[in-house]
Amino acid sequence: MRGTRFNIILGFLLLAIPLLLASIYWYNKPHLDVKQAEASYVLTAQNLIDEYQENEIATNEKYSESVILVKGRVFEVSTLKGNSVITLKDEDSESSIICHLLPEENGKVLNLKVGQDIGIKGICTGYLLDVIMVRCTIVE
Amino acid sequence: MAKIFGLFFLLSAVNMASAQDKFLTKEGFVSFFSHSIVEDIKADNNQVLSIIDTTTGKIAIQLLMRSFMFEKALMQEHFNENYVESHKYPKATFSGEIKNLNEIDGTNTATEIVGTLTVHGEKKEISTMVDIKMMDDEIILKGDFKVDVADFKIKIPAIVANNIAKTIKVSFELHHKPYE
Repeated sequence: MRGTRFNIILGFLLLAIPLLLASIYWYNKPHLDVKQAEASYVLTAQNLIDEYQENEIATNEKYSESVILVKGRVFEVSTLKGNSVITLKDEDSESSIICHLLPEENGKVLNLKVGQDIGIKGICTGYLLDVIMVRCTIVE
Repeated sequence: MAKIFGLFFLLSAVNMASAQDKFLTKEGFVSFFSHSIVEDIKADNNQVLSIIDTTTGKIAIQLLMRSFMFEKALMQEHFNENYVESHKYPKATFSGEIKNLNEIDGTNTATEIVGTLTVHGEKKEISTMVDIKMMDDEIILKGDFKVDVADFKIKIPAIVANNIAKTIKVSFELHHKPYE
């Protein structure tokens, strides 16, 4: 009798502990690592702007929550609260891609020049007057 | 074309004032804070678009729900997918008026802002006091107000009802520069 009860308790613990650990991990799961992640889409800055201007809702659904790689020309480099912000824009375009970089990217930005062509990987959050990207990293 | 429509939306109330009467930011800050006995939840958005027309005092603000950054990835996921349904309602907007803008002179003055806040497709009239600094090359608005989650038809599942406050505090700080 005692042995049966022991087995039941043991069985319960064997089930409960992994479940508890899994839920703690799940609750604290880290943000997507943009640096390591493979870009789901690769496109030019102007292509991305064009897609948003054509169909904002569909484009939002297509790119939200996936890492994308955007290639374009540096129009402006600035900082916001200690983090770098790179604006990609063609000279004849009205809209731009505003890329908010990860804090650890600050060093790379120092070597950037306006007019240079670069690739930026990040997460697209949508379109206001410009396309907004966050948690960005410079790749090329 | 969409950009032009976007501008018209933002400036619809702002009319035909000349460009130097407009002040704009694309890097405004809005955060919200939920306090409950179980946990505190905070999220920051540093990509807020805001335009002021100084001749009329009209103000138009837009932000992307997906630009809210949470400490925990899981919270951010639940917020976007289940609560505010960012795929259906990607933006929150505010359209309103800064009271007595023309009488404000210099820095550290308080005034009232009234207008309509739209979140999750639901509209709500808001009135709040703000600290305002009026300078030739910058207009700073800073303040906070409270909103009830229920007013925006945001459904919180019973299982996490104790984790999320019924009333959320929204804080903002917007540094507008002259729009060229």
